[in-house]
Amino acid sequence: MRRRFVLPALTVAAVGGSLFVAVSPASAHGYISSPPSRQANCASGAVSGCGDIVYEPQSVEQPKGSMQCNGGGSRFTVLNDDSKNWPAATVGASVTFNWVLTARHRTSTWEYFIGAKRVASFDDNGAQPGATKSHTVDLSGYRGRQTVLARWNVADTINAFYSCVDVNIGGGPTTPAPTPTVTVSPTPTPTPTPTPTNDPGATTWAAGTAYPVGTRVTFDGAAYQCRQAHTALTGWEPPHAAALWAAV
Amino acid sequence: MGRRLAGTGGPACRAALALLLLCLLAACGGPAAEEAFNDTDVMFAQMGLAQITEGDRVAEIAGSGAVNPEIKAVATELRGQWRTESATLRGWLERWKRPVEADPSAGAHAGHGDLHSLREEDFAGLRALEGADFDRAAVALLLGNLHNAMETIRMEATAGSYPEAVGLATRMSEARQGQIGRLLALAAG
Repeated sequence: MRRRFVLPALTVAAVGGSLFVAVSPASAHGYISSPPSRQANCASGAVSGCGDIVYEPQSVEQPKGSMQCNGGGSRFTVLNDDSKNWPAATVGASVTFNWVLTARHRTSTWEYFIGAKRVASFDDNGAQPGATKSHTVDLSGYRGRQTVLARWNVADTINAFYSCVDVNIGGGPTTPAPTPTVTVSPTPTPTPTPTPTNDPGATTWAAGTAYPVGTRVTFDGAAYQCRQAHTALTGWEPPHAAALWAAV
Repeated sequence: MGRRLAGTGGPACRAALALLLLCLLAACGGPAAEEAFNDTDVMFAQMGLAQITEGDRVAEIAGSGAVNPEIKAVATELRGQWRTESATLRGWLERWKRPVEADPSAGAHAGHGDLHSLREEDFAGLRALEGADFDRAAVALLLGNLHNAMETIRMEATAGSYPEAVGLATRMSEARQGQIGRLLALAAG
């Protein structure tokens, strides 16, 4: 179809070459829609104040090799901002990442990272992807809130497309949980809450408490930091409320 | 001699000039505002029609096969808006005396080898799916189509010159952004 538009594109380029500097219709290609990537959360309106990425979540294209959510460079830097309240999708140990593609470029690999570690790679050997693309990735070695960086390495350009997906691994349901932990253990445990994290300022999470941003708590042996001021309710335990608590 | 020529030619020339000026005024005065379109406007209309045609095929399949009623709702809404929009785009191209397709010699199936458009097997592939798989693919294909369309729409909003077309692009941008948001919410499940 694009072939049909070559003529007018050239005409316009000849008439005013600067027209397409700001808008380049053929530059965009794809991003992860579910679990929602940061650009998907911007485009859907789930996260506000994202800038132009809301109109082109598929355009996070930069040279290969970056470990940043925006792929490096000066465009879409909002995606690198970890202090923004990115919602984290609750997922199991096995996660299927679904891409939305607007152009099917020949592909070398699809890579997934947590931190500096590459947790999965899929080699397409230069093949063109279909109209949709999904990968199932084993994240059983991780728990809690994590940011997964995905890179789509295009085979016939120097570029890759970048998508960061915030997930809460093994968090269980985020909506009213069936009261996870209020059960009193029948055996007399000598130290009721061992608090393995050596976080001096942290208290044990408790429903009914008002938590300002930055408060550190422990829950079920793990440490969390409050992302959003709120009064805790049963069912909003830190592992189940990624919007409120970040694992630290 | 020159003087004589000027003397006899003078009035004739002046009359001709006056007539020419009148013609120019008539030609430029009326239709001038009407014809203030540029190549971006033409491209917007031509690409817009092609993208709507593709999107409508996806939405038709999605609307009839989706399990989730919200997908059907978005598909139905899109098809209704596209009907009006494509009639408008077609009307402009007629008025501008420009072809509905930029290069008809490329044929109706020129899109097959292209990176940005769907192929027959994509439509067939979608129809062959069921249940949650169908819904997921339908949402992904609709989103892909809408994102491509948004690039054309925003190109027009930025660089178009025909005021009505720029206005339509602005309204389309708002509508599509809302539909993209709803589809992404569906994708997020």
